[in-house]
Amino acid sequence: MASVIKAILDWLRSLFWKEEMELTLVGLQNSGKTTLFTEDMIPTVGFNMRKVTKGNVTMKLWDIGGQPRFRSMWERYCRGVNAMVFVIDAADHAKLDQARAELWSLLEKPQLANIPVLVLGNKNDLEEALSVEQLIEAMNLQAINTREVACYSISAKNQVNIDITLKWLIGHSSSSAPSAS
Amino acid sequence: MSWKKDEDTDELGALMHLDRSTVLQEARVFNETPIRPRQSRILLAKIIFLLYRGESMSTTEATELFFSITKLFQSKDMSLRQMVYLAIKELSTISEDVIMVTSSLMKDMQPKSEVTYRANAIRALCKIVDPSMLPGIERFLKAAIVERSPSIASAALVSSLHLFGDAKDVVRRWGNEVNEALNGKSLSQGSSFFGASANQNQVVSTSNIVQYHAMGLLYAIRQHDRMAVLKLVQTFSGQNKGSWMGGSGATLRSNMAHVLLIRYAVRVMEDDPSLAPQLSTLLEEWVRHRSDMVSLEAARAICHLKNVTSKQLTPAVNALQLFLSSPKATVRFAAIRTLNTLARTNPEAVQPCNVDMEGLITDSNRSVATFAITTLLKTGNEASVDRLMKQMQGFMTEISDEFKIIVAEAVRSLCRKFPGKHSLFLGFLSGVLRDEGGYEFKRSAIEAIVDLAKHVPECKETALAHLCEFIEDCEFTKLSVRVLHFLGEEGPHTARPTVYIRHIYNRVVLENAVVRAAAVNALAKFGASTVGDASLQRSVRVLLKRCLDDRDDEVRDRAAWALRMTGDENVRDKYIRDDSTFALAALERKLVEYCADPGAALKGSFNFDSVPRISRAQEVEARDRQRQETMDAVLTGTTLKAPTSSKTAAGKGDLSADATQDAGASSGFVDVFEQQAKYASQLNAIPELAAFGEQPLVSSQTPTALTEAETEYGVQCIKHIYSNHIVFQFDITNTIPEQVLEQVEVAMEPEEDIDGVLQPVVVVPISELKCDEPATAYVAFEHLDPETFPAVSFACTLKFIVKECDPATGEPEDDDDGFEDEYSLEATELNAGDFMQATYIPDSHALWESLGDSAQSVETFALSNFDSIKECTEKVVELLGMCPLEGALAPKSKAAHQAVLTGKWLGKSKTVARARMTYQKGAGVTMELAVRSEEPSVSELVVSAIA
Repeated sequence: MASVIKAILDWLRSLFWKEEMELTLVGLQNSGKTTLFTEDMIPTVGFNMRKVTKGNVTMKLWDIGGQPRFRSMWERYCRGVNAMVFVIDAADHAKLDQARAELWSLLEKPQLANIPVLVLGNKNDLEEALSVEQLIEAMNLQAINTREVACYSISAKNQVNIDITLKWLIGHSSSSAPSAS
Repeated sequence: MSWKKDEDTDELGALMHLDRSTVLQEARVFNETPIRPRQSRILLAKIIFLLYRGESMSTTEATELFFSITKLFQSKDMSLRQMVYLAIKELSTISEDVIMVTSSLMKDMQPKSEVTYRANAIRALCKIVDPSMLPGIERFLKAAIVERSPSIASAALVSSLHLFGDAKDVVRRWGNEVNEALNGKSLSQGSSFFGASANQNQVVSTSNIVQYHAMGLLYAIRQHDRMAVLKLVQTFSGQNKGSWMGGSGATLRSNMAHVLLIRYAVRVMEDDPSLAPQLSTLLEEWVRHRSDMVSLEAARAICHLKNVTSKQLTPAVNALQLFLSSPKATVRFAAIRTLNTLARTNPEAVQPCNVDMEGLITDSNRSVATFAITTLLKTGNEASVDRLMKQMQGFMTEISDEFKIIVAEAVRSLCRKFPGKHSLFLGFLSGVLRDEGGYEFKRSAIEAIVDLAKHVPECKETALAHLCEFIEDCEFTKLSVRVLHFLGEEGPHTARPTVYIRHIYNRVVLENAVVRAAAVNALAKFGASTVGDASLQRSVRVLLKRCLDDRDDEVRDRAAWALRMTGDENVRDKYIRDDSTFALAALERKLVEYCADPGAALKGSFNFDSVPRISRAQEVEARDRQRQETMDAVLTGTTLKAPTSSKTAAGKGDLSADATQDAGASSGFVDVFEQQAKYASQLNAIPELAAFGEQPLVSSQTPTALTEAETEYGVQCIKHIYSNHIVFQFDITNTIPEQVLEQVEVAMEPEEDIDGVLQPVVVVPISELKCDEPATAYVAFEHLDPETFPAVSFACTLKFIVKECDPATGEPEDDDDGFEDEYSLEATELNAGDFMQATYIPDSHALWESLGDSAQSVETFALSNFDSIKECTEKVVELLGMCPLEGALAPKSKAAHQAVLTGKWLGKSKTVARARMTYQKGAGVTMELAVRSEEPSVSELVVSAIA
């Protein structure tokens, strides 16, 4: 019986929160993907799945590990999502080249064409962090013309610019996304 | 809920017609948004069902599937998640990148998630982690082991046991937690609390299963630490008396854990006989345990003890006797099975149960009845056999093949015991041969008849007649071949060989090629026999000629060979009268080596001379022994015999030593060849030694122990003789868990002058020697003058660097540089016997005559220190290193004996030794040793070995 009630509840709930969206968080290791929405500091081995509710939008987040062994699997979790979020450690200059290569190899996957990309320069609380303009330059974002792109400089630690990030994301919820099948 | 159940059963019915491609198609369901828990769950069940059914899935398919399944982690549906865990476990071995779910599973096993999630996540997680990631989850697993909820603790313990194989070092660190789980208080109230919070089907465990699992894991961790295992046994021994050997108040609530404890106690007893008296009292106490399971296990353990006394057996047999009348079939079965095994070695002890076992013959459970009858056959006397056989015939058709084999084996051993009843047995066996039955069963029945025919001459003709009847309608080619071979062996020596020839020739007409070929061989044996009259041989040749037109190459070839052979007396004698045969195991190994080496065929054809020869009698004996061993293994089950993992490797040397010590040289023969082959491959693995030659010409048969038993270090020496080198092999065992030895080598100091004869060339040390992991060091000498064969004694010293180490992990402590130490060993000797290869030489008498007096060397010895001829013979065999011929080791008279020994000097020159001995009380043994060899100088050397 319990499951029946639960099913009814789920259905009722879906009436209220019509907006549901799916996101994938990718980026090199130690860029701050997991800490973006939780306090968890343990490196992600594989992926974390979590749901975040903001207003009347439920976001399903696939937070994928950034170590090299997991990078080949990013694509699988990006297929059919409403948006991909690529997180960069803006203060780690040495890894920028690597980050750009990974971002572009992801963007070139035919399966992922047209999926909007949000590039986040994390850790702007650190002095050496790049500004938004520098980041766009470093990632060569101006060259993307076939899909929607946005770039913000944020700090997960100090909660800077998180609200505008969420706003952008909510703007790309199910209404505009292709339905998964 | 009823509607749900109906639908589920429908689905299950549908599962029978599943096929892989449809299911993989349906897997798209997993990617749908929102998740459809019910459909997904059913589909997962289908996938798991397919995998269980043995359907194979390619890596790509499995990986694709696996990643779709990971999407299901977004659903919070509990039953779906459980199926996801199961599917992950199943796919973990086929799919790639399964570590992808690590984080998700780790989240599920956190203390804040549901009990059902936690236990199952732990089990799934342990399937997907690789040992390198284990330290990352170690903390959680340790916490889970001491968890109050039994399902979680069990999951963690069982998973740890699985992980133990790959990550021993990590799991060993959890000993304290496991101990805590073992000693933990009853947990059922804890689980019911969780059970209430988890809203559905949470099973409340009352079986104390955690204790069982903890016991298993703790033993796995500590099994090499004998004291720790003993302590484990002692801790839980105080159950009835409370204070035995300081046993604490710890109790075993789980009967299964108790059963494990009994097994561990038995292993301790086997390892350390000095503890046996204490522990066997304990076993006796456990026989009176209120649980059937524990009591049975304790009784079984006692019955299987080596050298068990009848006083020890009585309580165990009494308990088993009571169990025979238990209402539970399993209990009856366990009891009768144990008694059956005991009856093989100790029939008198089982006799008191005869009345109860008679009652079980009519037991509705046929397995129990079979064991009852076969046990009675062993314990019964000649008078009861008739009745039992009749009863057995009654239900042969009702039991499975497996039990029919047991019956056939029982009858086979009875044949030897009561030869007078042969007609009864033969009637029974031929009766069961007519019934339906599988190959294995028919084979054991045939073997029983063959056995009977060999051992009871009176019934040979009847037995052969039954066999002939059997092959007239036999569906098993192998059995027909076996019977035909036997007919060929025995038929020619009977009064009317023609009877059998008719049956054999029928096979040529009616059967497939393999049987026809065997039939031709059998005919050839009749043709070559000198017993029958000439007309018989002529008729056989006529039959063989007809076979020349056979459709099959092999049959024609054999027929042609047989004709040629039966026509020429010299050739015939060579092939048919030869009573020696190749050591089959060695022959097989050599052939495999030959086939495996691509260049071998170019070097020349297979060299048969390199295969050692043994007499047929020895070969048969070896085979009998092997059969007995396999039967023992089948009957006693493997649990008690299962060696503790790493001991197997250690046992290699010990085993052969045991075998040869108690069985005398001849029965251990075939094993010896195998053993020498192993030495050869070990030697060839070391480049310095491989250079001496492909294989040593001669290797010692038995390792010589250079230390007393039960000392800190065990050393055994084996000598290998090459054409120009002599290698001493030292098998060294370190028995101190707190020490690691490094740079272990044996220093050999000759006690006589060896300049110009032997020169040390290579010393191969052992770089690291851990406790209970035997390793081998070598010392090699160059044999400078091949004409002289030195008899030298060497003083041996073991030299090494000792490092302290952690007994649990065996890792040396980092900052310990160690210190050098020495350990003196007993001296090792090199004498003439070491250059002699013990080989059976057929027709040694003819060889003796042909060598003549010129090759002979004789000397007479007065050996006053021997008390019997037998003792003296054994010593001579050991010193000369030669193969005793039949009867050599079993003197018929106490006063005089002649022993003939054969061997090959350096594996080449055939040598025969004849020792005539007389014994007089007071004066000891007087022996005249005469040796003749193809190499005359050898004769003298051999004689000089005594003294």
